[in-house]
Amino acid sequence: MGGSVSKMMGKIFGTKEMRILMLGLDAAGKTTILYKLKLSNQDVTTIPTVGFNVESVTYKNVKFNVWDVGGQDKIRPLWRHYYSGTQGLIFVVDSSDTARLEEARSELHKIINDREMKDALLLVFANKQDVPGHLSPEDITNQLQLTKLKDKLWYVAPSVATDGTGIFEGLAWLSNNVKTQPQK
Amino acid sequence: MTSILPYRPSADSLAPLKTDGLPRLSPAASFSNRSQSSSSMRRSSTDNAVASFKPRRCKSQYPLDSSERHVEYILVASFHIDRGPIMEHQYPAPISGDESMLAELMLPDQTHVRSQDWTIFFLHKDTSGDDDESESGKKKKKKRKSQRYHGNEEAADVQQESPDEESDEADSSDDEEGGEGPPLMYVLNLVNTKQDNTVRRGAVVKAMAICTRHSFLHIYKPLLLLALEDYFKSPYPETLATLYNAVNAMDLSLMPKLSILERHILQSSNTKEMFIEKFEQMIRQREEEEGQEGDYPPSPKKASRYILPRDTHEFESKVAYNDIPIPVKIPTVIWPETVGDFSLIKLIQTFAGPHSTSPQAFPTHPHLTTSGPFTHPIIVLVNAILTQKRVIFLGHNRPSGEVAEAVLAACALASGGILRGFTRHAFPYTDLSKIDDLLNVPGFIAGVTNPTFANHPEWWDVLCDLPTGRMKISSHVDTAPVTEGLLFFQQQNSLLPNQASNANSDPTGDNLFIEDILRSISNRHGENAIRAKWRAYITKFTRVAAAFEETVYGASNLYIIGPGEELSPDSPTGHQTDSSDPASLRGHGYVWSDETAKQRELSASVSRIEGWRNTRSYYSFIQDIAAMYFPARPIQRPDLHHHHDRLRSLKLSHSEAAAVYIALAHAVKDYNGICQLLTVAPENQAGLFYLSMGLFHPDQVVRETTVDLLDRIAAHPAGRHFWAHLGRFAKLGYARVKRDRDAAAQSPISGIGQTPSSPTISNPGASFGAEPQSLVGVALGDGMSRRS
Repeated sequence: MGGSVSKMMGKIFGTKEMRILMLGLDAAGKTTILYKLKLSNQDVTTIPTVGFNVESVTYKNVKFNVWDVGGQDKIRPLWRHYYSGTQGLIFVVDSSDTARLEEARSELHKIINDREMKDALLLVFANKQDVPGHLSPEDITNQLQLTKLKDKLWYVAPSVATDGTGIFEGLAWLSNNVKTQPQK
Repeated sequence: MTSILPYRPSADSLAPLKTDGLPRLSPAASFSNRSQSSSSMRRSSTDNAVASFKPRRCKSQYPLDSSERHVEYILVASFHIDRGPIMEHQYPAPISGDESMLAELMLPDQTHVRSQDWTIFFLHKDTSGDDDESESGKKKKKKRKSQRYHGNEEAADVQQESPDEESDEADSSDDEEGGEGPPLMYVLNLVNTKQDNTVRRGAVVKAMAICTRHSFLHIYKPLLLLALEDYFKSPYPETLATLYNAVNAMDLSLMPKLSILERHILQSSNTKEMFIEKFEQMIRQREEEEGQEGDYPPSPKKASRYILPRDTHEFESKVAYNDIPIPVKIPTVIWPETVGDFSLIKLIQTFAGPHSTSPQAFPTHPHLTTSGPFTHPIIVLVNAILTQKRVIFLGHNRPSGEVAEAVLAACALASGGILRGFTRHAFPYTDLSKIDDLLNVPGFIAGVTNPTFANHPEWWDVLCDLPTGRMKISSHVDTAPVTEGLLFFQQQNSLLPNQASNANSDPTGDNLFIEDILRSISNRHGENAIRAKWRAYITKFTRVAAAFEETVYGASNLYIIGPGEELSPDSPTGHQTDSSDPASLRGHGYVWSDETAKQRELSASVSRIEGWRNTRSYYSFIQDIAAMYFPARPIQRPDLHHHHDRLRSLKLSHSEAAAVYIALAHAVKDYNGICQLLTVAPENQAGLFYLSMGLFHPDQVVRETTVDLLDRIAAHPAGRHFWAHLGRFAKLGYARVKRDRDAAAQSPISGIGQTPSSPTISNPGASFGAEPQSLVGVALGDGMSRRS
């Protein structure tokens, strides 16, 4: 009951709600991005995520419910349980970890080829742009073979999660492109 | 599906024991129990009963020489920043099975956001050695893999225990064993996250777990706290060994073993010295064994080495860990399905609160919403568990210990300590990584903290959200099949004219029951009182189900009728088939005020009973009746529960009541018989009040028979507390009957009341050697002292 009221308010005042799933290989910076979104002015130190984190972030009238799921390869099979109802996927890549970009590409394509993810927007953070030897967003686009994707809205945003550079730009892209259809 | 069970009696199978496929039950064993224990119960008077109480040797629940250890394993796991959860040490030996799965369970989701968390989980693991007594468990063991986290289990392969195993040991006949294979291994786990800037990535996460077969695993909490702290300082196997040796040195050998009837009485009583005699005897036995220092009898002054419990519901002991004595309290009575230190009150309040302020309509489901869309959520929960649905407790941002507690409470709620098979399919704490295993279990109760479960209604039938206190019925829940019983009652109901008027009332009585529970909670009656009420509720459920089966199928698996009692619902209850034998009083099962009330309640309960009738707990219950509950009952005939209920809830005519009083007095003679009677007259349901009404019966024979019965009860170690709680009015009635009889005995003219109604009730008081006068004294003295 309470939920439906707030949804109605949302329609009147134009706030939207969006379920975001944030994935990526381990140590890509997912939890740092999540808490930088949540606590924009503070320094964030993180410890490895046991399981998951979930936070709500309101930005430009969009309430983002962001799920950040641990990335060790052992627990990647669990990602699929988070797909249903997801409207946007944030895929975080360590731009300096060139050795594992192929692994990242393969994981990413597995995710977005899932039936439950076919309508989700795709935002890629080319993270750790401050680390020497990093690839540019264009290189990341090529390495991840994003141009091959059909019927998919995607965007690659450069970011430095530790100081917050780029992450709100990424979020802005999501909020501008989220379909206005009311969610369930 | 009904083909498995003999519901439909053919003409020749109307035999009294409808237990095809079950072990044959001979009453002989229980009769031998009776005579044995009655002789052992001889004592002189209530006042010094304790001193001269000389029963058979009292056995320990946890004997000193037992090969079973309190704690079997100590484990330590940690979260390795590169490798994830790993097992660091295991003591005394590696626990077999999937180590990394165990390590994952020990490091619950989001443990990185809190400094401390408790979890509980269960392992299915064999008892290591071959223990001789649990022959029944062996077949199952062979099938079992050495160890696994709850996998799929078939419901029907419940073991059957042969009743002659119990032979002459009254106490051992009702062991907790049975059910489905070896007892679970309970794991209590403590995890600590310590921020530490000196290590890579800034934190150390370690968990220590205790693996035990005892369901009272919560007593180890303070020890785990100390030991894990020590382990952070000295991360070596020696730390585990210290804990292991300390907990296994815990001495519980002075805790007496109680029979199932005694346990039942103790749990439903608030009397703190109930069965204190048994504890005294344990100490005496011990002193005799140790001592023999010449002085006989042992003088009471020097007997201070062992102390009696302040409350017999708990046994106090100590664990000396690193020379620190840590007091522990172990529950004397452990019911099946009661694990850990959950709170039913907390569970009920969590879901009752939001429902009372703003009730939300459930989508209706015949098994679940038995009182319509606004069925109380707690009833929905119990219905879901009884009908073996998939139930998930979700506690996002709550410690995993909290969801585990809710799961354990829910198991106990649906079990009532009577039904079982819930904890065996419970996952007090689990996470996404076990989801595939979980979904292989048909019907489970699981606790999770990951809110993604809420987004997967295909994974559960009922979702209980702890932070909001709301329950949801899944859109994916299976529809209830149409069954024979359903059709039967649909036909019946179409014949009933006042269908519409029933709709508004509370035909199941559940609304009233929940109101009563909530009132008890707000009046602070305490956890024990609430558990007793749930026990009564589940008992009632099984009795109504038995009546339902008899009505629809002509026979019930849930009730073993006494000899000579044919199963015909039409034949009048209370009829005495043999006028010379009071025990031939007919009637059994649940008592309704009239046939309409019965039909109304049965038809309201059809769906959930039918939903229960194919579940694991239903089949285990049938096994338990045959193997445990029925043999534990020395008096099969008349049905004490039934006839006591008649006294309580019906307006009987004088002659009907007389038959009941005489039949009860006739049947209830010895120690176990009195125990059985006390279980059907618990203190919270007026105790002996309804029996004592026999003191005011117009027929003198009935009055005197009742006096004799009360004498026997008052001389009984448990009965004396019931007698003490009896109101003054009844006691005065007792004294009056007593006085009249004494007067009659002294004056030679009036010998009317002298001959007992039946030759068998000759001199019942003698079997206890009780002195009736002292009771009069007690009755009056009690009143006097209160007045002064």
